Amino acid sequence: MNVEKIKARDDCNSADELSFFITMPLGPTSSAIFIQNGSRTLPDVSPPRPMSLTVHPTALLSILDHYVRRTDVQHRVIGTLLGTRTPTSTPSPSIPTVVNVTHAFAVLHSETEEQVAVDGDYHRAMYEMFLKGRGESIVPSGTASAGVGVGPQGKEGLSIVGWYATGSSEGSPAGLGTFSALIQNFYEQETTPFPAVHLALDTGTEEGVGAGVRAYISSPIGVYPKAENCVFVPIPCELKFHEFERSGLDLLLASSSTPSSTFLPTSPLPALHTALVGTSNALNRVLAHVQAILCGEIPPDPALGKYLWTVLGAAHDEEGGWATALQDTVMVSYLANLVRGQAEVAARLALAGGA
Amino acid sequence: MAAPSMAAALAASLPAPASAPAPAAPTYEAIPPSMSTAIDIEAEIPLTCVQLDAMVVTKIVQHGREAPSASAHGLLLGLDLDGILEVSNSFPLPSQTSEEDDKSPKSIARYQASMLRSLKEVQGDDNVVGFYQATTLGAFFDRTLVDTQAIHQERLRHGGVVVVHGDLISPARQLVEIDGADRCITNRKGKCVVPGIQTDVFVYGRIQEREFQLFKVGCAYLVDVEYAGFTIYYSLMARRLKFSSILEEIPVRVRTNPLASAFLERLVAPGSGAYTTRQLTEGETPGLGGSFSVLDLGQSGVSRSLELVSEAIDSYRTEDGNVAYLTRQITREKLRAETYVAKRKEENVQRVAQGLSPLPEEDVSRLFKVPGEPSRLESMLLLGQADAYAKSMESLAGIALVNMYGARGGGVYF
Repeated sequence: MNVEKIKARDDCNSADELSFFITMPLGPTSSAIFIQNGSRTLPDVSPPRPMSLTVHPTALLSILDHYVRRTDVQHRVIGTLLGTRTPTSTPSPSIPTVVNVTHAFAVLHSETEEQVAVDGDYHRAMYEMFLKGRGESIVPSGTASAGVGVGPQGKEGLSIVGWYATGSSEGSPAGLGTFSALIQNFYEQETTPFPAVHLALDTGTEEGVGAGVRAYISSPIGVYPKAENCVFVPIPCELKFHEFERSGLDLLLASSSTPSSTFLPTSPLPALHTALVGTSNALNRVLAHVQAILCGEIPPDPALGKYLWTVLGAAHDEEGGWATALQDTVMVSYLANLVRGQAEVAARLALAGGA
Repeated sequence: MAAPSMAAALAASLPAPASAPAPAAPTYEAIPPSMSTAIDIEAEIPLTCVQLDAMVVTKIVQHGREAPSASAHGLLLGLDLDGILEVSNSFPLPSQTSEEDDKSPKSIARYQASMLRSLKEVQGDDNVVGFYQATTLGAFFDRTLVDTQAIHQERLRHGGVVVVHGDLISPARQLVEIDGADRCITNRKGKCVVPGIQTDVFVYGRIQEREFQLFKVGCAYLVDVEYAGFTIYYSLMARRLKFSSILEEIPVRVRTNPLASAFLERLVAPGSGAYTTRQLTEGETPGLGGSFSVLDLGQSGVSRSLELVSEAIDSYRTEDGNVAYLTRQITREKLRAETYVAKRKEENVQRVAQGLSPLPEEDVSRLFKVPGEPSRLESMLLLGQADAYAKSMESLAGIALVNMYGARGGGVYF
C-alpha cells in the first residue's frame, strides 16, 4: 500500500478551543502540518489547489443521516460534496483557494476485499437533479479556464468539489487507503480542472475515535503516476454558516440537549433569557481573566486587551434616544393591534355582507 | 373505525415531548397488540404533531436563504406513526418562475419522480408527506400555497402538511452584509436590496423567532376550489371561512437523531482552552456558541414590518376596489335586464290586449351578460397577509419593549 498520510494524531486537544471561531477538530491549532501547496509557484499552468475548506451544517447533517441509514453490509458510506470555491483575501485575491461545501448527497458504492465500485451514473444524475432543483443549468466541467483561475463557478453556482466518507480509524481499510485513493481519482475527473477534496467524517461511534471532520486533498506520488497511489494532504477544515441560519441551529442544539431529542419551538423570551445568562457568563469569564492578569498569574496579551477595549467600548449612552425609541415601539405595537383588529372585522364583514 | 387505540390515547394525554418515544419503543417486537392499532393503513389516526428532523430544518433554512427569487419551496418526505408525522428528508423543487414554458409541470413531475427513486436507492424515505415554503415575516397566505396544498390534499395521506418557514427578508439583508458580494438579492416583494450597506444594526434578533409553523388545509377549502370562480364567494360564506380558519395549525417540533446530537454536542463543547489571536482577528465567523442576536436593540426590523403591513393593506384596498367595481357592474347589468324584462312584459300585456301574440321573453339572457360573482378568495388571502405581518410586527415590538426596559433596568445603555 503506497498511501501515506501526513497527519499527526492529536484528536483530544484540538477540539478544546472551539468556543468562538470554528468548531471543528481540525481547528487552527491542530498539530497537523498544513503544507502550502503549489498554487503560488505554478499559478499559470495548473488550477489552484484548495488551501482550506468550510463545511455547512446541512452537508454535515446529510452525511450523518446517510450514515444512520446505511445497510448492514456497509461499513462506511460515501457521497458527493457540492459547493463553491471562493478566493481568500490572502495571498492572491483572484485565485479560488477556499472550498465551501454547502450540500452533500449520498452515492451508491460497494467495497469488497478486492475491489471498490462507485455508481457514477447515480452520482451524475443526482448532481443534475440538484442543479435543477436550484433552477440552475449544468455547467459542463472542463470549461473552466485553468489559466485565469476563476472558473464559471466563480459565481454562486454549485459544482462538485469532492467527496465524503464516514471514516473510522486511519489504519483500518475503511480509512484512507487504496480504495480511497481510487475513489479520489474518480472524483478528480469529476472536478476537473480543480482538484477534488476529500472529507473524512468520524462519527464518533467507534471506540477511541472522537467525532470530528478532517479534510484532505491529494497529490500523486511515485515515479509513475498511478490511480491508486496518492498522498492525502490534510487541509484546515471549518464549520461555516450564515448568521441568520443561527436560529435554526439553535433549534437543533436545544433539541439535542433535551432527553427525548425533540424540541418545540418556543417564544423569543426564553431565548432572551438564555442570551442574557450567556452574556453574564461571558462577562464573568472576562472578569476572572482580567483579574488573573492583574494579579500577575497570567501574562497579559496586547491583542486580547485591544479586542476587549473595542468590544466593551462600544456601549454608548443615549438618554433621549431611549425615550423616543420607546415611544415608537409602543406606537408600533398599538398599530399592529389595530391592524389585526381591523383585519378580523373586515373578514367577518365580508362574510356578513353577502348573506 | 374502532375505538381510539390505547397508544393514541396515551400519546394524546402525555405532554408533547414525552409522547415521542412511547409508541416507538416496542416497534421491533413481532406484532405487539398495542402497535397493531397504531399502524393505521387508512390514515385514520389524526395528526397531532409534526416532527422535523434536524437535517430538514437546516435544509429548509438554507434553501430559504439561497433562493434567488420569491419562491423557495420543496417537498417533505417521511412517515407518520400514531399521530406523529416524522419528516425525515426534504428536497427543493425548482421555482416555477425560472421556466415559464408549458412543459415545466411535466418536467417537474419527472424531476420529482427520479429524485424519489434516487433517494430510495440509498435507503432514504421516499414517501411524500407535504411541502414547505419560505415566506416573509410569517405572511404565508398566498394563492399558490393554498392551491398547491389543495392538490396535495387529494393525493397524500392525511392530506399533506405545509411547513411554513418565516422570514425571507432578513436573510436577504444579512446575506448582503455578511458576504458583501457584488450581487443584489431580490426579496419576496420583488425589490432589490442593494448591497454595500454595512451596519450592524441589521443583525437583528428577529431571526431567532423564526418558528416553524405548520398548517393543514381544513377540509372546507378543498370543496371551494372545485367550484372556483362563480360560486366561490358563496361557498366561502356558507362555510364561514375566514383567513384564520382556512388552515389548521399543527404543532411542530424538531428532533435530532442521537448521532447528530452527539456530533453537535461535541461541536459546541465550551472551550476551556485559551483563545488564540486568530480567533480574535477573524472573529466574524461565528461558531456554534450562544446566540446573542436577541440582545440587539436595533429597530430596523420594525420599520421593515411597518412597510410590509402598509403594502399588504394597500394591495388589499386595490383588490377590494376591484371586487366592488365588479359588484357594481353586476348590479347595473341586473338592473338593466330587469327593466328590459319589465318593459317587455308591459308591452306583451298591451299586445295581448290588442289581440296580438306576445313577444318572447327568453332572449334576455342573450341580450344582457351578467358577469359572474367575483372571487373573494384573493382579498381574503390578502387580508390574511396583512394580519400575519401585523402579528409579527406585534411580537417584534413586544420583544423590543422587553429589551428596552431590560437595558434600562440594568442601567446599561447599548
